[in-house]
Amino acid sequence: MTMKKTPVFEWHSSNSAKIADFGGWQMPIEYPSGVLAEHAAVRNFVGLFDVSHLGKISIKGSGALPFLNTQLTNDLNKLADGFAQYNLICNTDGGAIDDLIAYKNSEADFLLIPNAANCAKVFEVLKHSAVTKSEFSNLEIKNEHETYCVFAVQGPASQKVVESLGPIPKLEFTQFTKFKSSQYGQFGELIICRTGYTGEFGYEILVGWNQGLSLWQFLVEQIKNQGGLVCGLGARDTLRTEMGYPLHGHELSEQISPLSAGLKWAVSLKKSEFLGSNALLRESEQGSYKKLVGLKILDRGIARNQMPVFDEKSNLIGQVTSGTFSPTLKTAIALALIDAKAAIDLEKVMIEVRGKMVGAQIVKLPFVPAKVRSGSN
Amino acid sequence: MNIPADLKYSKEHEWIKGSVEKDATVTIGITDYAQSSLGDIVYVQLPKVGEKVSEGKVCGEVESTKSVSEIYSPVSGTVTEINSELEKKPEALNQDPYGSGWIAKIKLESTPNSLLDANGYQGLIA
Repeated sequence: MTMKKTPVFEWHSSNSAKIADFGGWQMPIEYPSGVLAEHAAVRNFVGLFDVSHLGKISIKGSGALPFLNTQLTNDLNKLADGFAQYNLICNTDGGAIDDLIAYKNSEADFLLIPNAANCAKVFEVLKHSAVTKSEFSNLEIKNEHETYCVFAVQGPASQKVVESLGPIPKLEFTQFTKFKSSQYGQFGELIICRTGYTGEFGYEILVGWNQGLSLWQFLVEQIKNQGGLVCGLGARDTLRTEMGYPLHGHELSEQISPLSAGLKWAVSLKKSEFLGSNALLRESEQGSYKKLVGLKILDRGIARNQMPVFDEKSNLIGQVTSGTFSPTLKTAIALALIDAKAAIDLEKVMIEVRGKMVGAQIVKLPFVPAKVRSGSN
Repeated sequence: MNIPADLKYSKEHEWIKGSVEKDATVTIGITDYAQSSLGDIVYVQLPKVGEKVSEGKVCGEVESTKSVSEIYSPVSGTVTEINSELEKKPEALNQDPYGSGWIAKIKLESTPNSLLDANGYQGLIA
């Protein structure tokens, strides 16, 4: 399989980024500044990420809204035009095929942003559902993976960076706008959305694939003026783990339901039937078998994905789904899926880290307070 | 990549400073290449003073935000001193791998037989 590259790949390479595979894409993990400095830049100033590997799927035509409401878990009827909403798409067992952001332009015009590795799968599921329901067979569903680049500008100074493009209207959390800069017309029409995956006040900007590199270079200069750094996906992972945000393939999978992963708020069991709704209703009534918990490691060492978790009587109760060193808390943290019954009143667990038992405290998520709504300076 | 000419190197990316005659005491650490590949180091597990270590065998561990990597002793002998500052300041391994990031001092039991000079190590990582 040939690895795909975003239009910014050569920039990453020539700026000495360490490159790794993300869902078939060659993406920067970190720059010479390192994960810790890049993480701190986002929490204190601003960071710029190339996340153009994320999937993009457009759904257009009359009936797009009711169609998507039969496919996604959240209630799109609650979504106003010009806003984005977190959603999941599930299989019939209620397992998560992917999590994604749905942008609503109008009832007849949506853009979905699934994960890079799952874009083709989500696209196939939607296509299949549409052709098998006559009332939706006229919808135009397009895989637009390489139509847009996506850049995330995240951190308390992100508003200043984005406003350097021109007079952007004030956006609420999850609101987006289409914007064409009169000063920087070469970037074309941008979609600027108040969303992110870091827990900080921030934006995600969509730009045409071929205009991506020139916008990137412009944003690099702007973030430097604010004391910020260009960040790799390593820092994106430590930032999202501090927030307890799920990552598909870790906290979510086709075997893990959004209810088990603590995403009940993004699953509308009151709306009419949708993919996986019967299984999710059943799980909601009977209670989930698994529960996602946050763990603060009490000893040295980092608990990593798939390491086994035990209760204090040495019963195996689950496994770590993500683990890292929290640059903000200066201690190791982890997310783990554990047996829901065992989780009741449980305060401490033991994690087997390379043959050694390490203690960990169960803590409330997020590990670090979110500032997505009010963290601008 | 910084590869000081006056040091010797192991194939597992440790450096050795000092005479490697039997009964001499050498200082060991990890190379600039090793720290750069690991990324930001956040935990270090050092050998213990008095511990016997063997050439090519694990004597400690360094853990970065990304991954964990074992430290292989480049020589055989007894640990006489460790840099316990690293437990509080693991970033010294990234910032100054050949200086304040030293790991341990070891009294040699025998002359190690598979060390590289700076040129040889340069060739290994090229």
